[in-house]
Amino acid sequence: MRSWLNIVILLLVFMHVPIPAVVAATDSAVCLGCHGAMEGAAKVDQALYSKSVHGAFDCVNCHVSPKGAQHQGLTSGKADKAVADLAAQIAQKSTKDPIAQASCTGCHPEAYETYKKSVHGQNVIVKRSSDGPVCTNCHGSPHLIQPKTSKDSQVNHFNVVKSCGVCHEEKVMAEKYGFSPLVMERYIESFHGRKLKIGHAGAPSCVNCHGSHDIKSRKDPASTVSGENKIKTCGQCHSGANAKFVAAITHQPLHPIAHWSELGLIVLTMSVFAFICMHVLLDIFADIRDRLFRKGGSHE
Amino acid sequence: MNKTMTNEIERFDLSARVQHVIMFTTFLLLSFTGWGLKYAYQEPASAWIRFWGGAKMAGIIHRVAGITMLIDFIYHQFYLLNLARKRDLSLSLVPMPKDVVDFFHNMMYFFGLRKEKPYFGKFNYMQKFDYWAVYWGMFIIGTSGFFLAFPVLISNLFPTWTLQWVWDVLFTMHSDEALLAIVFILIFHFYNEHLKPDVFPMNWMWLTGKMSMEQLKHHHPAEYDRMTGKGKK
Repeated sequence: MRSWLNIVILLLVFMHVPIPAVVAATDSAVCLGCHGAMEGAAKVDQALYSKSVHGAFDCVNCHVSPKGAQHQGLTSGKADKAVADLAAQIAQKSTKDPIAQASCTGCHPEAYETYKKSVHGQNVIVKRSSDGPVCTNCHGSPHLIQPKTSKDSQVNHFNVVKSCGVCHEEKVMAEKYGFSPLVMERYIESFHGRKLKIGHAGAPSCVNCHGSHDIKSRKDPASTVSGENKIKTCGQCHSGANAKFVAAITHQPLHPIAHWSELGLIVLTMSVFAFICMHVLLDIFADIRDRLFRKGGSHE
Repeated sequence: MNKTMTNEIERFDLSARVQHVIMFTTFLLLSFTGWGLKYAYQEPASAWIRFWGGAKMAGIIHRVAGITMLIDFIYHQFYLLNLARKRDLSLSLVPMPKDVVDFFHNMMYFFGLRKEKPYFGKFNYMQKFDYWAVYWGMFIIGTSGFFLAFPVLISNLFPTWTLQWVWDVLFTMHSDEALLAIVFILIFHFYNEHLKPDVFPMNWMWLTGKMSMEQLKHHHPAEYDRMTGKGKK
């Protein structure tokens, strides 16, 4: 029963993958013959590639027609129009092989449609900016891509914060796009960030509140963290969340009152610490002195 | 009080000893589990939390221990009320001007300016400090911990203009004062009740509740004199 189900699912999955019209005259082994042994950016690690979710693909599925005389004859024909158009739109961002980058959309159309409407997609595709992520910025090189459930995946629940941080940690980006310059730091210090770090599967990462492919600017009313939506978003875990409750998390820099009270508590802690250390040390020295020089001294 | 002189006197009754055991057990559990969250970004934290059954379990342990400690603390107040009702409540733990004098005498003794140790009463100023530190801890750490455990409910209690900083303050109160409590216990309490040559490896009073008259005379001369009717020297 179970195995039948698996076969049906597998068939469905495979039927979903559009196979390039022109069957490639070449499989990945041919390409890896050179690229597996190369150093630097052109290297593709054969072992890691074959273990990746796309490991069974031919290189030319995505790298439709590699440039240069050395690649003569190594092609799967022409990229289809949608991919070629998208490649032209993201050429600013994806400089190496925009066709290969745009090819993701062939198999992942839903993700692409959602992403296209997101703040990231709009910035890259419509505004043709070199800021903002394309697929590989978050998911990592497609040669190494792992399922989201794998701990090696860049978008795994416990890794995704780091992936967002690549751009959202940048002061330049914060100024340009108007998000809090300390957004990462403040998240990392928070209960949510700490719990995630020590392995709490229920602790929210960035995407649990902000969304991933569908992410919107906080200023966009459609954002999961703007206005009423924020109450709904927080309410996923904190039942009964209301406007007062959701005001707690803004990722804004520490308020001066919080800053000064923190400093006050540190001073208090350090003074008590200094006092008790001094007291204990004096006690020890007095005891040693008594035992050495005042035999029986103050003792009965 | 002037009954036949025994060799030992009871300083802590059974209830007080049980309260102390609950207090330190929950204190240790809270410290162990809370430590992992406070220092989440220091390497051993994740492994340490796994030892406690993972982040979720550590959180449950922390909450259960916290509530148990709170109940223990509230129970202590009823215990005191009951002693007062029985007219058995001594005010020997209340800080007095004499404690300041004792502190200076002790300092002079430490520096060799006095030959005699201070004329300590039933509880010296260090023990009073120990005792009242729990109240400070319960007030600061207990309150903030309770608030942090029920964020949705508690945010309704605070006025809107405080909401941008109050959670940061509560978090710092909870974690920094917990650090203070741990450091205090680890250095002051452990030295005085465990490591001090007089008591090493531990002051057995936490189990027996009893102190020998000899010890009492040595460490708490004022109380000894009061009990034996000698009055002030």
